[in-house]
Amino acid sequence: MELRHGLISVDDQVQEHPRVWTDRMSASRWGDRIPHVERLSDGTDRWVIDGQPAGADGVASAGALLADRASTPGTWQDVPAAAYLAEERLRAMDADGVDYSVLYPTVAGEAGDVFGQLNDPELELACVRAYNDFLIEEWSTKNNRFIPQCIVPISPVEATVAEIRRAVGQGHRGVIYPAIPMHLRDVPHVNDDAYDPVWDVCQSLGVPICLHAGSSPKTRLPLHPKVSARLTGAIEAMTGPASGVFDVTNVLFSRILQRFPQLKVVFAGSTLGWATFLLEYADHQFEQDHCEGYDLKPSEMFRRQCLFTGWYDSVAPQIPFVGATSMMWATKFPATTSTWPETRAVIGRCFEGVGEADRAQVLWKNAADLYRL
Amino acid sequence: MEIRHGLISADSHVVLDKDAFTNRMSQGQWGDRIPHVVEVEDNGRLVHRWSVDGRVARSRGVCNCPAVIDDPLRNRYPERWEDVPAKAFVPLERLKALDDDGVDAEVLFPNDPGSFYQYKDAAFELACVRAYNDALADWRDASDRFIPLAMIPMLGSIEAVVAEVERAAKAGHHGIVMLSEPSTIVGGLKHVGDDYWYPLWDACQSLSMHVHVHASGGLGGILTVPPWSGYTPHQAHAAYTIPTAAWPAQLIPTLIFSGVTERFPGLKWVFAETGIGSINYVRAGCDHEWERRSLWTEGILTRPSEVVQRQMYVNFWYEVAGIEFRHEIGLSNIMWESDYPHIASTYPDSRKFVERSLGGIPTEERSRLLFENAVGLYGLEVQESVGAARSMDR
Repeated sequence: MELRHGLISVDDQVQEHPRVWTDRMSASRWGDRIPHVERLSDGTDRWVIDGQPAGADGVASAGALLADRASTPGTWQDVPAAAYLAEERLRAMDADGVDYSVLYPTVAGEAGDVFGQLNDPELELACVRAYNDFLIEEWSTKNNRFIPQCIVPISPVEATVAEIRRAVGQGHRGVIYPAIPMHLRDVPHVNDDAYDPVWDVCQSLGVPICLHAGSSPKTRLPLHPKVSARLTGAIEAMTGPASGVFDVTNVLFSRILQRFPQLKVVFAGSTLGWATFLLEYADHQFEQDHCEGYDLKPSEMFRRQCLFTGWYDSVAPQIPFVGATSMMWATKFPATTSTWPETRAVIGRCFEGVGEADRAQVLWKNAADLYRL
Repeated sequence: MEIRHGLISADSHVVLDKDAFTNRMSQGQWGDRIPHVVEVEDNGRLVHRWSVDGRVARSRGVCNCPAVIDDPLRNRYPERWEDVPAKAFVPLERLKALDDDGVDAEVLFPNDPGSFYQYKDAAFELACVRAYNDALADWRDASDRFIPLAMIPMLGSIEAVVAEVERAAKAGHHGIVMLSEPSTIVGGLKHVGDDYWYPLWDACQSLSMHVHVHASGGLGGILTVPPWSGYTPHQAHAAYTIPTAAWPAQLIPTLIFSGVTERFPGLKWVFAETGIGSINYVRAGCDHEWERRSLWTEGILTRPSEVVQRQMYVNFWYEVAGIEFRHEIGLSNIMWESDYPHIASTYPDSRKFVERSLGGIPTEERSRLLFENAVGLYGLEVQESVGAARSMDR
């Protein structure tokens, strides 16, 4: 590992380009069901997956690179190269002081939640495998500063496990998983021990499970249809991280961490703002309800195995209760919410009052340990 | 009202007498549909339950008041009305319990029966709501230590809502209890950001009737992780209660970026029983997104953290670590709550809870959180008996 800047950004997004799936999936078998970009009659481009338009609007997420950060590119030609080309991305990272970048998808869903909504497990698997192959072939083998994480088919569990083994064998370092898969389609409750082989393979391979906030509209307030796209984007940027409280609470009470004490869980896109609040309330309610059957209090369980990720909060006040070993940092590049290209200044502000050791812990050491750099 | 203890609960729950509705609603018009207590058989025992709209409520006991039942585990709810302690539902008896617990005054939220919109009959809902608001106004007449909040009818026209708010304000109510996101909870209602509600916000703003959202504000069980059969009832209660505390972290940004707070800058919002610590997320996050997206170009002219400081209030009862965030949340935006007589209530140990949360913080700050902010928000006329109040301030 080589550190020049002192930052491992643990939550960035790859923008998949239009040939990611068409280059890798069998046209004779899947035809138009393959994720691809279509030009609409109004001249804009749109992703289409299994015949359904995908994404809220626009063809890519690259707000940080656009003159109007709140906008989305209307056609593929408008998408800046740093969103989808590894070589250009490295330049953007250097400009912003980022050593390593942990990658999450865009078209496949930040939480790897898009293909889980397909009602055809074979199509789901084919789409997932194509994404995982793409990330190795076009990103991580080009430069080791990219830390690839695989997505998975959510069902059947045997397919999930097999894809994790295959992807980690290819070089993937983390497993992106939708926190509430039963909100995507009709599958067993994620707390059921039917999923134990998934947690088991992650634990034994030493790769974290990464639950990105905002994976389910059923834990978020609905949007007001009369509000403009720019304001809607801001509301979504707030309801998504806040909905992470459902994901964290469920993991802490599910007893998954108890059954798999070496398993690491990353709550990507969580923010740090509600970290102390949630863990303290979880402990309080745990005691109030006389919860039995757990080895540790929720906050202790969290500190043993889980990590929050932040990109704009004050860190110092969260350290006493959450602990510097349970927080990581991100730039969220190239989303609208990203701190790029002012990440250094934002870090300067957010880490006021934080000592050198804790600062290093949050900015890179936790990530270096987690991803074994 | 005299401040003798230096402590005001900004979230408690009234218990109306069993005759509260039958005494106030027309027997001729509503008959057996009027909320009243009936005797039913439950596993061979004769128990009491509320009956509303002719339907017997499925509830634990006849009254949600486990904090005043002699059971340290708070597992027991009175099964018969004669077992409901007077200190829950008799105003003057309840004042004695407040004094025993060192509480000067309490803001009264509803208890069972409520949520009258669920019976899907606007006229019936309005009659129940009016009876409830009248009964609560009688509590206010009994003592100004009770600070009543009005229910509003959800099913009728917006004019009917406004009329009831105006009526309630005249009767001494200090605010309304609102659903967090109406369109998610009641089919056919408008989104909380919709201009349909503007006449309501306008009336509340001009009458100083603050808008109160309690816990999930009706979202519980609707927007949630699906139930899991592997939990014991206790585990399930904890697992499904905890995330509700963060609904303000979604609702406040929705209000700000939908333009509601920009349009109604004098309207105050109170989030009860959600704790305080999601507010620093709202402040930091909304400011960040507002800057990243240049949202002043979209008519959101006020910096969101200033909106929060100006219009948003939250309550605490158990937090210790969370209190360390009080300056980031806003010293003027935090109140204390006892949740009397519900399961989470600090009663009868409120002083201990207060010490646990605020031990070691400066007296001037304690006073603001414990009673001064509530006095200011609700415009209470108080005479402070300095010695007694300061004793609570240590």
